[in-house]
Formats: sequence, C-alpha cells, structure tokens
Amino acid sequence: MSEGPVKEYYIYSPWLRIFHWVMAASVGVLFATGLYIGNPFFIGTQGVEPTFAVNKLMSMETIRYIHFAAAYILVAGFILRVYGFAVNRGDRLLPKFWTALYWQGVVEMLKHYLFLSADHRPYLRNSLARSAYLGVYVLLFLEAVTGFAMYFMVDPNGFGAKLFGPVNGLFGGEYTVHLVHHYVAWLLAIFVIVHVYLVIRADFMEREGEASSMFSGVKFFAHKPADIGDIADDSDKQTDYGTRHRQYPAQG
Amino acid sequence: MENRDSMWALFQKRGVSRRSFLKTCAVVTGMLGLSPAMLPKVVAAAEKKTLPPVIWLHGHECTGCDEAFIRSQSPLASDVVLNMISLEYSDTLSASAGEAFEHHLKDLMKKYAGQYILAVEGGVPLADNGIHCMTGGRTFLAALKEAAAGAAAIIEYGSCAAWGGIQAARPNPTKSVSVSDVISGKPIVKVPGCPPIPEVMTAVVMHFALFGQLPPLDAQGRPKQFYGNRIHDTCYRRPFFDSGMFVEKFDDAGAKAGWCLYKVGCRGPVAYNSCGNMRWWNGLSYPIQSGAPCFACGSNNFWDNGPFFERLPDIPVPGTIADADKVGMVAAGAALVGVVAHGALSAMQKSKQAKQQDTDVRGPEA
Repeated sequence: MSEGPVKEYYIYSPWLRIFHWVMAASVGVLFATGLYIGNPFFIGTQGVEPTFAVNKLMSMETIRYIHFAAAYILVAGFILRVYGFAVNRGDRLLPKFWTALYWQGVVEMLKHYLFLSADHRPYLRNSLARSAYLGVYVLLFLEAVTGFAMYFMVDPNGFGAKLFGPVNGLFGGEYTVHLVHHYVAWLLAIFVIVHVYLVIRADFMEREGEASSMFSGVKFFAHKPADIGDIADDSDKQTDYGTRHRQYPAQG
Repeated sequence: MENRDSMWALFQKRGVSRRSFLKTCAVVTGMLGLSPAMLPKVVAAAEKKTLPPVIWLHGHECTGCDEAFIRSQSPLASDVVLNMISLEYSDTLSASAGEAFEHHLKDLMKKYAGQYILAVEGGVPLADNGIHCMTGGRTFLAALKEAAAGAAAIIEYGSCAAWGGIQAARPNPTKSVSVSDVISGKPIVKVPGCPPIPEVMTAVVMHFALFGQLPPLDAQGRPKQFYGNRIHDTCYRRPFFDSGMFVEKFDDAGAKAGWCLYKVGCRGPVAYNSCGNMRWWNGLSYPIQSGAPCFACGSNNFWDNGPFFERLPDIPVPGTIADADKVGMVAAGAALVGVVAHGALSAMQKSKQAKQQDTDVRGPEA
C-alpha cells in the first residue's frame, strides 16, 4: 500500500520494555487480589480452625501477601523506568506540553479517533498516548501512596508509618483512603481496556508495529515521524540516527 | 477547692499505707501506657505534683461521654473525681446548679488562671451566632472562649469536641465544629470516641496531672498510646479475617460462631482506638465481641461514612443502590462496549479507505 521503503526506528530501551511487562503483570495481580481484599467474594476454608486455615492456599492472608508482594515489585520496577529514561532518549517520561507539536498532536489524534479525519501524521508516540501514560503514572502514584498509608499503619511507630501515615489525615480519614484506593483501581482497569484496544487498533490501521514495539523496542515508518526529535536531532541533513537504523524495501 | 494536695499527701490524709500508694502508682503507670521503667518518675510526680483543678464544660452533645465516664472501672469514676483530680466544675456531675454554680466557675477561672485543665465535651455550633447551644444564658462559643483563655491544657473529650460530632453530619445545619477549630494557641489533645473509653480519659488527665504536659500525640492530635493501633490489628477475631472466614448475614452460622465482621461493614480496618486491647467496663466486652461491626466512632466523619453495615458506601446515583465496585464494573463494561464499537467503525473506515485507494490506482471499474 505505502510506496517506498519502510524504516526501522529504535525507540524503547530494554529497561522500559521490562518495566512495562512487570507493570502489566503486577497491575493485573494487584487488581484481581485487590477485588478480593475489598470484597471477599468466595468462601474461605471451612471446617478448619482459623489458626491453621491461615496458611491454606487462597486464604485472605495469602491473597493479601500476594497483593503486597506485587505492590513492592511494581514500585521497585519503576526504578527500571527511571533508569531507561536516564540512558535512552526515546524513554521520555513526560509529554512536552510546552511545544506546539504536542498540542497539534492532541487535536490531530482527537479528530482521528472521532472519525473526523481518516489519517494522521506518523508519530513515534502520539500526544494523547503520552498524556494517558502520564495519567497512569499519576494513578499508580496515588495507589502506591494510599496503599502504603494503609499498609504501614500496622506498625504505627515504624519508619513507614512516619512517612506515609500522615496521608491518612490528608485525605480526611483512613476510610476515604480505602475508597480512593478502590476508585483509582477501577480507573486503571478502564485505562487497560482502552489502552489494549488502541494498541491493537493502531497495529491494525497503521501497520507500524505498535504492539511488537513493546517487545522489540522498534517501530516501522514509511515516512519520517513528526516527533522524530524524541530520538534524534531533527535536521534534514542528518538522516542517520543510530546503528539500529535499517531500511526495508516496500512490499509489493 | 481545698483539694489542692499531691496524691501522696491525699493518701496520707486518709491513712493509706505507703505500700498501697506504690501499688497505685504501678497501676497508674500501666494505665498511662508507660513502660515499667517509668515507675520511679510516676512515684516522684505523685509525691510532689499537686493535683490540677479540672473544669468540665458541656457543649453541643448528648452527654453520652459523661455516661461512659461515670462507668470508669479502673480507677473507679468516684475515685477519679474525688481522689485523683479535683473536678471543680461539671454541670452534669455536680450537686449544685444555677447562679451560685456559675459564680463558682468564674471564681475558679480567676483563681487558677493558667493552671486548670479544661475538659470539653461537645461540639461548637457556629451558625446563627451560635444560638443553637446556650449555657447560662450565653452561647457555648462565648463560654468556651472565656474558659479556654486561662486553661493550661484542653482535652477534647468525645467525637463531638474532637471532630464536630453527629450534628456535624452533612449538611451540618448548625455548623457544628470541633473545639480546636475555634480555639488555638493552647495545648489541645483529642480523645475521640462516641463515647470514648472512660479509662482513656482518666489516663490523659492523669498524664497531664503528673507530668504537666500532654502525652505524645499522633498526626491527628490523639494520644498515641491509646489511638496508635487499628481495631483491626488488635482484634481477637483477626484470625477469621486472615483465613477468609466471614459473617455474611447477622443470622448466619458464621455470625453465631463469631467469625470476622468485615463483610457486614466492620470499620475495624480504619478505626484507631483501644477497644481491641482495653475493651470496656473493666474488659467485659466491646462492640465486635458482642457481634456488632465497629463504626469507627473515634474517626473523623464516621457519621457520613454510611451505611454502617456495608463495606463500601453508596454512591448517590439516582434511583439505584450502587457502590464503588458496581460503578466500576458498569464503567469498565461501558468502556469495553465503547472500544468494540469504535473498533468496528475503524474497520469500516479502513476498508472504505482501501477501496478508495484501489479506485484511485486502477480507475473506476466501468
């Protein structure tokens, strides 16, 4: 369909990709276990003294343990994301709100998603996606802070409680903290639905390797992406931006 | 008013032995939540410190805290009032009343300016210039401000004084607020609860009486030794929670067997209080032990976090009963339907576009 060669663009470092899948797995586990902790919907061990039932598979204790472990893995995983940000130009953390390109991208993508325009300029990562990912980080931060506020108050004189305990007062009581933790989890679930859909859609509509990019780190474009400045200095003279730069002949 | 002795002097006057005095000090040390190593300090303070006069004001409330306090078991409320503090003014416990009694209050405030402990029970209504609570012909706000001016420390006794109380529930027609919302510049300690555990009140008063300062407070201004731990973390039913054994209804076998009340709305996981370890009426019982879920009566806004027998609150969606999970499920379902519809439209658009391109390249098929 497209004329001319398709070029390979290296965007995501392995750190970002590993973090992405660590995050995906832990968010899934956290959501599932969290639903049970919030509302224990299946009947636990029967006919055993609770002293012994605690150690059974799928007891509240076990499910909470999985929840807390997954939470720590997610928070620790974010170190990878920050490291990727430090070493690789393509792993940007924040959208560039201050550039015209960002706002053009927002308008362009909104029009495209509302079927008002059939095409949009090629982007390494479009403005709406970038903004959504920032939103996810904000939501995850809220989850971590509220989660730790509840978690550490088991030991009210411990270091964690000193750090995160006052969050409970900030929200006007720990009950509200539970609710915020709960609502934000649902917002994340809705994000996941929309995110997975839009990734599949992009792959289907644009054939730029959107889905595989989170495994390989590269995307393929027939034309130079509008936000090429994110991975290379944009100048017409300089077209070679990395050793991973390869060209593929157009498919007949 | 002549009751300005130290505890030891008082014991001697009544012919109580030194041995009994030391025993009492040991009990007081435990009661205050102090480590046994603090015993010598408690003894020294009990020997020297004169017992502080206490003025106890009542505001916008139900006097249920009084009801709890007079049932204090260890020490007995009568001992507290007569032997451990000098309760000089309390309009519900005193035999006298009327103008003479109000005069007594005036004299007290003058004589012990800067020395007395002010215990306040009840919220402070601010709407309509405070006319919703009047004492002695004045608004409670005015009475409180006058008494607070000369107080050495203020104790907010009960959830009304500490957070505004039940009458502060939405929409709070009387604009009831806590004492610390209208008084500042004084050491203030919150002893919330609806009512608070009487022994906690006694211990806070004793702590100030003996050491001349408030006990260590948490981020919300409550004494740490009594409000440090969650009901959930001190609950004797916790093993049932950890094992996933829950009461589903109040009349099921789980309720009979004393399983965890989490699913019938227990607020233990968000409630900070001492009911789990001290219990009530000399350790007789407490709500969860009697099979009722905790309301978190010591927490701010507990009155608005309803319904009490549901884990999650209702979200005001007209015509339905919906909690966070239901709303979340509906929203997630709507998102799913939305993306499927959007996907179908996208596919249609793409195929239309492909046809268009075919037409452009090959020309119209005649």
